[in-house]
Parts: sequence; structure tokens; C-alpha cells
Amino acid sequence: MMRRTAAVLAGKATGMLSRLSRRGGGTTLPGDVARAIDPDVLRKLARDLKFGSVVITGTNGKTTTARLISWLLEGAGHRVVSNRAGANLIFGATAAALESAGADGRLRADWGVFEIDEASLPKAVDEIQPKAVIVLNLFRDQLDRYGELESIAKRIESALERLPAGSRALLNADDPRVAEIGLDLPAPPLWLGIEDTSVAERDLPHAADARTCPRCGASLIFDAVYVGHDGVYRCPNKDFTRPAADITATNIQLDGFDNIAMTVGMRRAYSADRATETQAVKPDQRLELPLGGLYNCYNALAAYAAGVTIGLEPQYIAERLKNFRAAFGRQERMEFRGRHLNLVLSKNPAGFNETLRTAVDLAKGNSFLIALNDRKADGTDVSWIWDVDFERLKGKATVLVPAGSRAHDLAVRFKYAGIDAAPPEPDPGRALDALVKATPEGETAHLLTTYTAMLDLRAELVRRGWAKPYWET
Amino acid sequence: MAPKQKTFTVGWLYPDLMNIYGDRGNILTLLKRAEWRDYDARMLELGRGATKGMEDVDVFFFGGGQDREQALVYEDLLEHKQPPLERAVRSGAVVLAVCGGYQLLGHYYQTAEGERFPGIGLIDVRTEAGKKRFIGDVIVDIDTEMPGLVPRTLVGFENHSGRTFLGPEAAPMGRVRLGFGNNGSDGTEGCLQDGVVGTYLHGSLLPKNPHLADRLIRSALRRRGDDELSPLDDSAELSAHERILERAQRRLPARAPQERELRSSAAAEPREPS
Ligand SMILES: [Zn+2]
Repeated sequence: MMRRTAAVLAGKATGMLSRLSRRGGGTTLPGDVARAIDPDVLRKLARDLKFGSVVITGTNGKTTTARLISWLLEGAGHRVVSNRAGANLIFGATAAALESAGADGRLRADWGVFEIDEASLPKAVDEIQPKAVIVLNLFRDQLDRYGELESIAKRIESALERLPAGSRALLNADDPRVAEIGLDLPAPPLWLGIEDTSVAERDLPHAADARTCPRCGASLIFDAVYVGHDGVYRCPNKDFTRPAADITATNIQLDGFDNIAMTVGMRRAYSADRATETQAVKPDQRLELPLGGLYNCYNALAAYAAGVTIGLEPQYIAERLKNFRAAFGRQERMEFRGRHLNLVLSKNPAGFNETLRTAVDLAKGNSFLIALNDRKADGTDVSWIWDVDFERLKGKATVLVPAGSRAHDLAVRFKYAGIDAAPPEPDPGRALDALVKATPEGETAHLLTTYTAMLDLRAELVRRGWAKPYWET
Repeated sequence: MAPKQKTFTVGWLYPDLMNIYGDRGNILTLLKRAEWRDYDARMLELGRGATKGMEDVDVFFFGGGQDREQALVYEDLLEHKQPPLERAVRSGAVVLAVCGGYQLLGHYYQTAEGERFPGIGLIDVRTEAGKKRFIGDVIVDIDTEMPGLVPRTLVGFENHSGRTFLGPEAAPMGRVRLGFGNNGSDGTEGCLQDGVVGTYLHGSLLPKNPHLADRLIRSALRRRGDDELSPLDDSAELSAHERILERAQRRLPARAPQERELRSSAAAEPREPS
């Protein structure tokens, strides 16, 4: 008890100091400090939660999904603890719990909602003992840092095998590599999936992974492709196929970066507590929310499923989602001298292809700024830009500014995609100038960027007074 | 009537399985640079089981894969691709093999436990598993074995744990100025043997090294008595190449202490959310 209190207080003090000095927003360092004093501090704090936790993992969509679930819980009057700003290692989750703990070292909150890096999942599940774990997808991402998909998938599998009794795994049935994880789990998972071929593409993108059968190694046949390698797939030798979804999204409508609408159906219902698992199957529910792109349908579907699993009513969820606000830097709008700037984080081939698709097929605006950095948080290997279908911009982009520390690599990529681009501009300020100058008044410009490139651009936008600093948002 | 357009064919070995490091950049670079010289450039996908059309291929590309995928192509390579690939190289076709592809074209790959997986022995190299993974930017000073290439450097990115050693039949492409290269011990990177180029560089390799791309295209076309390539404007490619050199120049002396600092669990740089 003494040790835990000391750990919490030391962690909280570290967080305050680091916020005061505005170094990194104090998101993970307090976790480091507290864990050094008491390695079990997160386990103890998680036990204080009145109802339990939801953990979200996967390559893309963790932050948005976590934010959606917190939004739902907070709207229902719950006190929620969640890790922010992508602090998704165990230290970040610990820091979040510390921030909400009192001076007596106790956490007074109802729910924990944690986004957790795929590799940290076993540890997080062990310490947090969540009620539900969502696995959104597994895409190729920063091989220099995360390693191969296979070893990441194995870690997730080992975490899910050790879920506490009464806990649920919510898995994306449309992702073959996630489906493979769910094949042999001791407790059957709840499967989520999109079932609307009107929003599907016919061909797999170049960056598709996970396209072989886990049973026989044959190349999978895709009857529909939704996002990356997520879709409707089957093995030609009939020994592996997309699991039947328990919770489905149908009748999807996409409106650029502004809105999505979909009907969620439940084929089977669970509650987190298996003792009360006799809940009736819920009727179909129409959802509308102010987020753009098909990829966000998966995030909304997962949030809905988690919400129902932990006892929220479908109608309440639908009402609450209508007013959702996107997480910082995921997707942000700002105005400048009559130009509409649309800033969207795009950090790996699957993510980039989806934001490009949304910008090109579904949104207004022919001006683009693409920014690529190669710092540790972006991935130091930029090879992946060759797997992004920038060819989509051909005939659409009338303005295209290559930016970021690797702007010159982007310029070469655009040249080989056959698109005319402005000269490469690594300086964020000059890149913005080039974009704004070439974009006519009243038009929309899309800024698609990797993580630290987004921070750089945003800092410049704040400096110019076009955006608010993020500790105020 | 217009004269019949000459064709140029790139054969991509296992495009769905061996494509991990942006290998499409190498394919696109070969195709576009031929197209810009008025060739009818085509890409032939050589997946598992496929051998049709291999005799028409000018440049083969064989990339890297994840372990699971690499295991899947292994048998197919030995069973279906080895004989036609050997015939093609004898007749003057060119092969560019990166990372896993490079290793599979050698004599064998030996695991940490000492188990040996035979490759197809097209090049005189052998590979052994190493403990530390070599990850990062690479700059290679090109050897005199490859005359005529300007600039005299290659730039790329490596990510491998295999240590590849060259036998007497194979010559290295060059020496590493930055990075680890073939094995991290003898300073060499890549190999040249007949028409085969093996390397650990991706990034992708060819887009920022247009001189190497043209060398591959030119040597493949030579067997058709057609090795005059008209010059192209490579300013975009070469300025990307140049920036990597400049940056390394700035970073090199400061690099070691900086890396030590960054090893704490609370990363000094912001981590990206998803
Ligand atoms: Zn199968």
C-alpha cells in the first residue's frame, strides 16, 4: 500500500513538472517513474475501476475507436480513464491511470479505455484484466520498428488466449490475419464485419499482406476488398474463409471526410459477463457520425459493438455518436483566407490508401500537400511510399506539394506515378505557402501527412494563428 | 506505317508474396525508364506455379518477404523457377535480387541452429543467420567492377539479420560508407555475377539510383543488340540521392552518442497514435 501510494505520487509529480515545462505533454514519463517504484502499480489501479476496462489494439484506428468508446461512456455519465495522444505502450496506460488517481493512491473512475500497441498487448491484458479487447486490423507498418506481421499476430494471440473469464475478444472478421488469430481461441470471439459490396473495391492494393491461407498456404481469393486486405475472402481449397460476422455494418453511405452512415445489425449478442449472456439480439440500428472514410466505419462498428457488450443501449449510442468529435490530429479542419484546409494523419500504406481514396473519390478539393518525415515515430524506412497508390491523384490533383524531411523521395514517387508536382519543399512553412498560393480562394486543400510531419505542420499552423495549440483543444 | 515498337519485359517473381520493402518502386522504375525511351514496357507476374513467358523476360526482380511468405515460395522456386531462370541468365537476361531474394539465389541459408536451406546457387554467395538485425540508411561507394556508373555511390535502406559472404565467382558492388552491407564485417555490399545483381538495399533501391536502373536495362537489352539508351532528365532522382549523402555527412560524427540517448523506454521522440 505504501509503495503504491509512493509510486502514484511520484508519477503524478513527474507528470505535473513535465506539463509545466511543456515537454511532450507529460504522456508517458510519469508511467516510467511510477513503475520503477512499484511495477504492479497499473494492476492495482486497474482493480480500482468500478466496472472495468476496454482495450483496443490493431495497426490503424486505435485512437479513434478508443475516443469513440470514451465518448459513449462519458455521455452516459461514467468517469473514464483513457490514455491519450498515442501514448499506447504500457507506460502510457500507466501514466493515464496515475493522472486520475487521488493523493491516497486510489483510482476513482468507472471505466478504463486504453489503446494499446500490438506488441504491448500481452502485458496490458495481464495487468489491466479488461472486460473486452478489440482487435481492429493488422497491416504492414514500419517494419524497421515493429518487425513482421507474423510475430505481432502471435503476440496478440497469446494475449487473447489468457483473457480473464468473463472477458470478450471483439475481432474484425474481414481481416484474414485477425481472423486467423480468432480461429483457435478458448472462448469464441465476437466477430465484426462490413457487409456492403457497394463500397467495395475489386482489387487488392499493392501493399496487401495476409493473403495466404493459414491452413494450406494457398493464395486467398477476395470477393470484395474494403480497406487494405480487409474484405470478403476464402481459400480456394475451402479450408479457411471469412468468419460469419455477429455484428455487421450494411447500407453504408460515405460523404467525403464529413460523414458516414451505416446500419448496424446484430446476429448474436453478448454481454461482457457471460453469466448474463442471455441478452436479446438487438434490432438493427442506423448510425450516423461526423467522421469520414470507410475505414471509420470499422472504428464506429467496433465502438458500437463494445458499447452494447458493456451494456449501453443501441438507441443511446446512435444519438451520442451524432455529435462525436475526432481525436486531435486524426482529421482536422481549419480556414485560412477563404481556403479550407483538411489535415489528415496517414501513416502507413493501408492508412494512406484510404485517406487518398476518400479525398479523391468522395471529397471536394483538388489541392494536395503530402508530407513524409522519417523520424523514429514515422518509421525511418520510407520504402513504403512505393506501396501507396498515389496514382489515384492523377487527373484529380491540380496542386500537389511534396513536403516533409523526405519531400525529395515523394517528388520521385510522384514523377513515377506520372503526376505533375511542385518542387519538393522540406520546410513546413514554405510548403504551406506553396500550397496556399496555388489553391484558389474558396477551394479545399487536403494535407495528408505522417505523424511527426503533422506535428511540424500543425506547429506552423499554430504559429500563424490558423489552428489552436493542442493542449487547448 | 509506324515501325513496330520494341518491347521490354520485367518479370516479377512472386509479386504477391515477396514485396515487403516497397519493391514496387523497383518495378515501376524499370518500366517507366524503358517507357520513356519508347519501349513497350510490360510487367509479367511470376507467381507460384507460373513459368509461362519467362524466356521473354529482360529483367527479373526478386524481392524480400516475411518469413511465412518466404517459406511458401521456397519449394516453388526450386521446383518451377530454377531451370528457366538459369536458362534466362545464360542467354543474357538480368536479375535484380533484394534481401530475401538475394539470399535464395545463393548456395544456402544457414539458420542459427545450424540447419541449412539450399538456395538455387545462381550466385556464389552463402548466408548465415546473425543475431543483431542491421537496420538503417546505407551509402555504398561503388567498386571499379562497375565502371561507367555516375554518381559513384548507391543509397538505400537495409533491414536484415542474414550475413552474406561472397565466394570467388561473385564480386561486391561496393563498400559501405554508412551501414552494414553484406555481413557487417568485411565492409562489402551486394554482389555482381554474370547478369545477376544481389543486394540488401531497398528504399526502394532503383528510384534513387537511376544509374543502376539504367545499367540493368542496358545490359538486358544488349543481348538483343540494342544497348543505346537515350539520356533522361534525372534531376529529381539525383537530388533525392544527393540529400541522403548530405544528411549522412551532417549526421555521421554525431551519430553514436545520440543513439545511446534514445534507448530509454520513454522514447525521446513522440510516438505516433494509430
Ligand atoms: Zn487453404
